[in-house]
Amino acid sequence: MQTVPEASRSRVLVTGVGVLSPIGSGKVRFYEALAAGRSGAAQVTRFSTEGLGRSVACEVKDFVARDHLSPVESRRMGRCSAMALAAARMALADAGLQANAWEDRTRVAVIVGTTMGEADVLESLDQTLVRSGAGAMQRSHLARVGSTLLPTHIARAIGAEGLTMTLPAACAAGNYAIGLAYDLIRTGKADVVVAGASELIQQLQFSGFVRLAAMAPEMCRPFDKNRQGILLGEGAAVFVLESEAHAVRRGAAVQAEVGGFGLTCDAYHITRPHPDATGSVTAMRRAIAEAAVTADDIDFVNAHGTGTKANDTAETAVMNEVFQGKRVPISSLKSMFGHCMGAASAIEAAACIFTIEQGIYPPTIHFETPDPECDVALVANVAQRGAHRIVVNNSLAFGGYNAVTLFAQPGVLVPPNERPRAFFSARTESSS
Amino acid sequence: MKLVITGYGIVSTVGVGNEAFERGLSNLDAQTATKPSSDATGAPLIREIPDFDPTPWLGEKGLRSLDRLTKELVLAARFALHDAGLKKDGAYVSVDAEAIGFCCSNAYGSLEAINELDRVAVLEDARYINPSKFPNTVSNTAAGYASIWEDVRALNVSVSDGNCGSLDTFVLARQFFETDRASVLAVGGGEALSESIALAFGRLGALVSECVIGEGASFAIVETAAHAAQRGASPIAEVLGASTTFGATATDSLFVPAERALVRAIDEVCAQAGISADSIDAVFGSTSGLHAFDRAEERAVRARVASPTPFVAPKSIFGESFGAAGALATAAALATFKGHRPTFLGDGPLPRTILLTALGYYGNAAAVLLRRASLDSSPHA
Repeated sequence: MQTVPEASRSRVLVTGVGVLSPIGSGKVRFYEALAAGRSGAAQVTRFSTEGLGRSVACEVKDFVARDHLSPVESRRMGRCSAMALAAARMALADAGLQANAWEDRTRVAVIVGTTMGEADVLESLDQTLVRSGAGAMQRSHLARVGSTLLPTHIARAIGAEGLTMTLPAACAAGNYAIGLAYDLIRTGKADVVVAGASELIQQLQFSGFVRLAAMAPEMCRPFDKNRQGILLGEGAAVFVLESEAHAVRRGAAVQAEVGGFGLTCDAYHITRPHPDATGSVTAMRRAIAEAAVTADDIDFVNAHGTGTKANDTAETAVMNEVFQGKRVPISSLKSMFGHCMGAASAIEAAACIFTIEQGIYPPTIHFETPDPECDVALVANVAQRGAHRIVVNNSLAFGGYNAVTLFAQPGVLVPPNERPRAFFSARTESSS
Repeated sequence: MKLVITGYGIVSTVGVGNEAFERGLSNLDAQTATKPSSDATGAPLIREIPDFDPTPWLGEKGLRSLDRLTKELVLAARFALHDAGLKKDGAYVSVDAEAIGFCCSNAYGSLEAINELDRVAVLEDARYINPSKFPNTVSNTAAGYASIWEDVRALNVSVSDGNCGSLDTFVLARQFFETDRASVLAVGGGEALSESIALAFGRLGALVSECVIGEGASFAIVETAAHAAQRGASPIAEVLGASTTFGATATDSLFVPAERALVRAIDEVCAQAGISADSIDAVFGSTSGLHAFDRAEERAVRARVASPTPFVAPKSIFGESFGAAGALATAAALATFKGHRPTFLGDGPLPRTILLTALGYYGNAAAVLLRRASLDSSPHA
């Protein structure tokens, strides 16, 4: 088995977390809400849900853009970009870093995941177009539409000049952003990556999920026999990821290590996961293998756990296949803050950091009735304490996208140069 | 790690399918701009794929719920996988589906689908939107459908980096090969013309007075030279370098032609290739008629690649196709390596080493360096 040269491999460390969520914004409030098992569900306030038969979602209620952004920035951005930038500033502050004070700004990258980006701006433009014609569309709104703006706003604000990228990977976008950041740092392409995801709730998306019959009426009950689907959520989570050398040079406090990333595609159905979950299984195994640990070493799994019939049974299959009978504690935090779409796996990654740091497994709230088809070791209703050396963050998405990240306590994993390099090259080499 | 391109597929305004494309590249009659069909005062000229119909290649089954962007991407992917010899008659012949991935750029998603559903919500009621069309509003859905139609399972990564996006997919590909996430990657992107994009850019008329909006999709098949040799594939080109940079940190303007960032991207790809910029035979740029951006790009290129090395504009025949732009320019470069001369290249010897550049609207810049494959190219060189 081939190993990557030592000089090009680095530990990838989490040194800053910024989060805006329906159960509380800022790390302290978010962590308190996770431990308390708080619900962020309420009647939708930002648009009318009349006639849709569903009216509950998990909005971020405590976000005021001008608290985080300059007046110019506020005018220039829609809610999605504004939340992303606010979370990025929180992450930098948490990491003890200052904007525009980099060792080498060309080695600072910014990666943001999303599903729809500035969807509310686009929706507003579309409505204007339909009602009043093209001449009524505001030029300032037109300039705010592209998802590519999300990371460029952050890069501009913090003074980053490395890779700047938007990954529209639907509900796995947060893990995609963290995973690519992990790849860039461990292979020596960047010293620091500001990575995360952002998403907002807007009317078309809400209506679409209602029409897909995928939305629960009042609460999301993942893994429950009587689960009725998702609740929409929104928010942003952004992380400062650093190479070990960079973090050591500045004496940074390390919160966790990103140890693995698994990525596959089902190529099965545009909205449903593969019932055998073969792609998800491969992605999770890969994330675990990259960290040079085994399934037996995993202490906790953050489930994608949407609360739909298809997702939760598929994810149960993943747990059974990967862990082969070991009852690894698992929880779906979408029961608390809804399905935050592109931001979901980023916000849930922040929860994984919470578990790594505090040894608390956040609960799956609203759980009442076990489902024999979802026989998992669920952390039901009340947070639990437990081993917290290594946790896995699972995500699936429209398009059959599967992405898994693995987080570990600092110092738990073997050094990167002692980790095996497997999968495709191993297969190619063995067959050549 | 030496990366090569072993095939490509394209759906474009100058031809659907590689043969038609290669013919159309050198045929001015195939490159005519047309006005949008709607009554859109001030809308820019557009270049539309005339009478686009994928059914000769994809059949009729399953196409009804797919939007234009999806059809373009699926078809380009199918052409590419067959051109590279990875598939024959629709089935994989030399590699497993689990080892092949997509890196796909798209700037605006399916505006056609979003606009259609928004229109229903506004004019009728949101409860009447078609649920089968709703997934098409999600930005990565077209790439997701492409993976389903073509059975691509190693990974599917979508990028939305404006008109730098499809050159950025080469950066991703290099990264994913280095971290061993796939054996073969289809790298490229697509963008579909829609009424709303034409109207929106028309509304930004001052910015786009000479800009022609285009569409299309293309994928290049990238793999390691060792993998290509193992399966007996003949490379068309070598990927010598790929870089993406940012350079809008010293300005308050939202729209930033980041000249300095592009120079850095060019320096990086030359460093990756281990060659001097003097070795570049032609530059396929991203100039599109936006004067400030065009001038900045030319200055950046000329800072490293001196005249008389040609600095040419593929968008003069494709139009500005945003997320697909770099992919279409890449296809033109690959066709050039195969001996076809694009009209925008002019006279002179066909280039052996081509630099592709892109300058984004918001401070992004990207560059990719390709070299025509040698017949004696060693997989371990």
